[in-house]
Amino acid sequence: MSDAYSEESTGEGPDFLDDDAVVRRIGELIAGLFTLSVLGFLAWILATQVDYRLLRSVFPRFVEAFRLVVFIVVVSSVASVSLGTLMGLARISSSPLTGRIAKGYVEFFRGTPLLFQLFVIFFGIPRLWPPGQFPIGDWRVPAAIIGLTLNHIAYVAEAVRGGVGAVEDGQLEAARSLGMSKVQAMRKIVLPQAWRNALPAIGNDQIILVKDTSLLTVIAIPEIMSVFRNINSNQLDPWTPLVWVCLFYLLVTMSMSLAVSILERRADWSADDEVGGLRGLLSSIGKGLGRRL
Amino acid sequence: MSSGSHALVEFEGVNKYFGDVHVLKDVTLEVERQEVAVVIGPSGSGKSTLLRCTNRLEEIQSGEIRLGGDAISAPDADVNRLRQRVGMVFQSFNLFPHMTAIENIMIGPTEVKGVPEAQARERAESLLDDVGLDNQADSYPHELSGGQQQRVAIARALAMDPEVMLFDEVTSALDPELVGEVLDVMRDLAEEGMTMLVVTHEMGFAREVGDTITLMSDGRIAERTPADQFFDQPRTDRGKEFLRRLL
Repeated sequence: MSDAYSEESTGEGPDFLDDDAVVRRIGELIAGLFTLSVLGFLAWILATQVDYRLLRSVFPRFVEAFRLVVFIVVVSSVASVSLGTLMGLARISSSPLTGRIAKGYVEFFRGTPLLFQLFVIFFGIPRLWPPGQFPIGDWRVPAAIIGLTLNHIAYVAEAVRGGVGAVEDGQLEAARSLGMSKVQAMRKIVLPQAWRNALPAIGNDQIILVKDTSLLTVIAIPEIMSVFRNINSNQLDPWTPLVWVCLFYLLVTMSMSLAVSILERRADWSADDEVGGLRGLLSSIGKGLGRRL
Repeated sequence: MSSGSHALVEFEGVNKYFGDVHVLKDVTLEVERQEVAVVIGPSGSGKSTLLRCTNRLEEIQSGEIRLGGDAISAPDADVNRLRQRVGMVFQSFNLFPHMTAIENIMIGPTEVKGVPEAQARERAESLLDDVGLDNQADSYPHELSGGQQQRVAIARALAMDPEVMLFDEVTSALDPELVGEVLDVMRDLAEEGMTMLVVTHEMGFAREVGDTITLMSDGRIAERTPADQFFDQPRTDRGKEFLRRLL
C-alpha cells in the first residue's frame, strides 16, 4: 500500500475501468467496430443486392412522390407551427375556459394515433354528406394536410407551453413593473425568450412530421413508401427502391434540422457572432452546417 | 396628481395573506416626497412583500395603498398606469436577456409611453452615462457583471420617470466587491431628491443615505425612526435587539 492517492481499485468492477484513458479507448473501439460493421453491411448490400439499372429507371417515380411529400410537409409544417403556437398560448391562458379547451385538444390529438385521425378525416368526414355530394373531388391531399396539421398542433403547443414555462417569473414581473400590459409583456419580453426555449422541441416535432408522411400511404397518397411498395411487389426487389427511400427521407429531415439549427442560432442572443443581414444569415448557415457535420 | 397635503406613498391598515400566512399585519406607513425610507428586518418579516404591494405585484386583502393620493390598491385602479409612476429594481436584476443594455432601457418608454425611438435612445444614453455605463450601451446582459447589470436595471426603471423607486435587496445577489458601485448610484439618486423605498441589509448605506429606518418584524412595523437616531438609540426593544444581533 502506498499513499492515499494510489491507483487502488474502488472495489466494484474490474480494476482497468478505473483508468479514464482505458475506458475512453474501449469506447472508441466499440464505436469503431460498430461503424465498420454498418459500413461493411451497406457496402455489401450496394454491391450484391442493388440493381443499378432499376435504380436509375425508378428515380423519376421517386422524384414525383418526393415533390408531393415536400409540398405536404411545407404546408403542414407552416400551419402546425403557427397554429400550434396559438394553441400553446391558449393552453397557458389565465382564462380557465380557454385553458381547458386547449388542454382537451392536446390530450385528444396526442392521445390517439395519427392513423386514427387520418381515417376519421379521410373516410369519416366525406360520409357526413349524402353519397356523391361531398364538394371536394380529390380529398386525399387536403385530408393529409389537415390530419398532419391537427396532430402536430398538439405537439407544438406543448413545446410552446414548456418554452413559456421556462422563462423566469422575474421577466414578467420586470415587464409589468414598467407598466406593460400582459399582452405587451408577453409579446416583447416573454415570447421571444419562450420561442428560443421551445425551438429544439418544435424542430424535433417537425422532423417527426416529415416521417409521419409515410403513413399517408394508407389514405392512397402516392408518397415515397407507396412507390416503394409498388416497385417491390412488381420486381420482388426490396433493396433497390429502399436506397431511394432512405436518401429522400434523409434529404428532407436533414434540411429540416439544418433549418432549425439556423433558427436556433439566430434566436441565440448570447452567440458570439453578430447576426443580421445576409452575412449574418450566411454565417449562421455555415455554423449550422458545422454543427451538423 | 392630487394635492400636496398627502405623503407620496401611504399604507393604511394594510393586511396581506399568502394562503393562511398573515404576512403584512395592519401596516400603516407614510413615505414623504424625497424621503429615503430604508426598510430593515429579519428575513420573512414582510419587507419585500411590503415593497411588492406598492406597485401591486402582490394584491392586498384589506386596507389601502395610495400613491400621491390615488388608491393603487383599488380593484378598479388602472394598474398599468399606476405602475409607470413606480420604478422597481429587483434582487436578481431581471434584465431582458434578449435585448442590449440600451434596448432594455428604451423598451419601457417606447412600448408603454409611446415615446419616439430617437428621443428614447437619447434619454437612455444619458441614463447610461449617469450610472457610469455609457460605453456598454450595446452589450447584452450576459456580457455584463452583476454590478453593471444592476445599474442598467436602475436606469431602466428611471427611464419611466417614476415618482418613487423601490429597491428590493438590490445588492444581495452581488459579489461583495460589486456592491459599492450599485450603492453609489443609489446615493446619487437620493441626493437628487428621488423618493426611495429601500429594502436592504447594507446597514452602512441605511445609516448614511437613509432618512428614516422602518424596522419590520413578523409582518408588523416594529419601529420607524429617523436614521441618525435609530442606530444610536433605537426607541423600541425590537430595535435594540435587531441592532445587538447585527454586532
